[in-house]
Amino acid sequence: MLSAFRSALATPDLRRKILFTLGIVVVYRLGSTMPAPGVSFKNVRECAAQVESSGIYSLINLFSGGALLQLSVFALTVMPYITASIIVQLLTVVIPRFEQLKKEGQAGQGKLTQYTRYLTIALAVLQSTGVVALAVRGQLFQNCSVPVIPDQSVFSLVVIVITMTAGTALIMWLGELITERGVGNGMSLLIFSGIAARLVPEGGNILRGQGGVVFAVVCVFGLAIIASVVFVEQGQRRIPVQYAKRMIGRRMYGGTSTYLPLKVNQAGVIPVIFASSLLYLPQLVSQLAASPTGEVSEWRRFIDTYLVNQSNWVHISMYFGLIVFFTYFYVAVTFNPDERADEMKKFGGFIPGIRPGRPTSEYLGFVLNRITLPGSIYLGTVAVLPNFFLDMTGGGGAQNFPFGGTAVLIMVGVGLDTVKQIESQLMQRNYEGFLR
Amino acid sequence: MKLFLQITLIVSSVLLVLLVLLHRGRGGGLSSLFGGGMQSSLSGSSVVEKNLDRLTLFVGSIWVISVVGVGLLLKVA
Repeated sequence: MLSAFRSALATPDLRRKILFTLGIVVVYRLGSTMPAPGVSFKNVRECAAQVESSGIYSLINLFSGGALLQLSVFALTVMPYITASIIVQLLTVVIPRFEQLKKEGQAGQGKLTQYTRYLTIALAVLQSTGVVALAVRGQLFQNCSVPVIPDQSVFSLVVIVITMTAGTALIMWLGELITERGVGNGMSLLIFSGIAARLVPEGGNILRGQGGVVFAVVCVFGLAIIASVVFVEQGQRRIPVQYAKRMIGRRMYGGTSTYLPLKVNQAGVIPVIFASSLLYLPQLVSQLAASPTGEVSEWRRFIDTYLVNQSNWVHISMYFGLIVFFTYFYVAVTFNPDERADEMKKFGGFIPGIRPGRPTSEYLGFVLNRITLPGSIYLGTVAVLPNFFLDMTGGGGAQNFPFGGTAVLIMVGVGLDTVKQIESQLMQRNYEGFLR
Repeated sequence: MKLFLQITLIVSSVLLVLLVLLHRGRGGGLSSLFGGGMQSSLSGSSVVEKNLDRLTLFVGSIWVISVVGVGLLLKVA
């Protein structure tokens, strides 16, 4: 293992890539702490400290690594890009032109990416306006008396909005630079760095608040969760595929037997992200409808107790149900058994014992449906776990809890992916890598 | 001074957004986010991309300088 690290750093090509990636991540982290122009750094610090302990912005803060609550130039982080790609992905089902582009392969995929980028900027304008409006009206930091933005003229507010939008564009570029010239997928690495940055302070909170024994238990527990997540992430069903031998001219082609891997968790963390963004909506509504007089209406109390409160069983079971639903939904969007069966038939492949064409696609659909069930239940369980340990983190946002839930799913997913990429780069030089 | 910095900020922000959008997207979309999907983009960057990179870097540094400048002015004031 360690010798693999050494040889990774000894390869000049790979070393340059890794260093480049680290450099970009450093730039990103620096930008996350730089306050946007017109935002009073001192006041924001004061307010953020108050709000962070109440833990309402769990998911958004998780992705931003605390950048949003500091109103930094990178306050929106990768959120607009993620939202934009989710929207574009979903639109491929609805709009025929998008579906056509998706089927076109490389060129069509590039066009879709370009659409995603335009949409990202549009969303960034919207979201930054929203954030700034909330901050000005004092709703971003409730119960905080000092003004976050001292100069509240329209011009200076516009400057903040435009700066945050440009910051989002810059993040997008940084992510693409990593994807292009570094190792791993840029966007997910940036999210990863945001989560990892919270890991140490969050652990420190537990150590300070609950003492050494609880801290040790949490650490052991976290490691166990990580190990089990890795175990399930790597799990796959291999469906054997036999290719027929063909003679083209004097050369023999095909005749190989390979397999079609169906992962247990084909959908990755995306269902979790969908579900938590949906569950975030009622909270947002309740917050926007907050009356200045402080009286709480009936329906708001209902939302607050059942939907916003993360330790309530209604919230937990809804979260779980949504995750299971979205897992099936996303797998259906990304993996089309008919297409696979068609492709296989075209290249002379078949699954032993099953006729090519429709029976194959039915078989694939059957296997996929069955293997996705444990996958979806696993996803839901891991995501819901931290909600049961709410009091352990000292009442903080459950999803911020660094050793369980969304954070672990994302970290393990991104980590595995990145290591695999380094591995394949290493394979070009020598045979021994990290994973055996 | 502050007004000047703010105007520089607006101009450089708009330029930055446009320049980034001009780049060929290499994001790969959602499928390659969070694991899954494979990547094999081995094509090098073209001359256009290289010059665009330089220009973006230049505008980006102006942007950073003016952000820091406005921040400092606010701190002093």
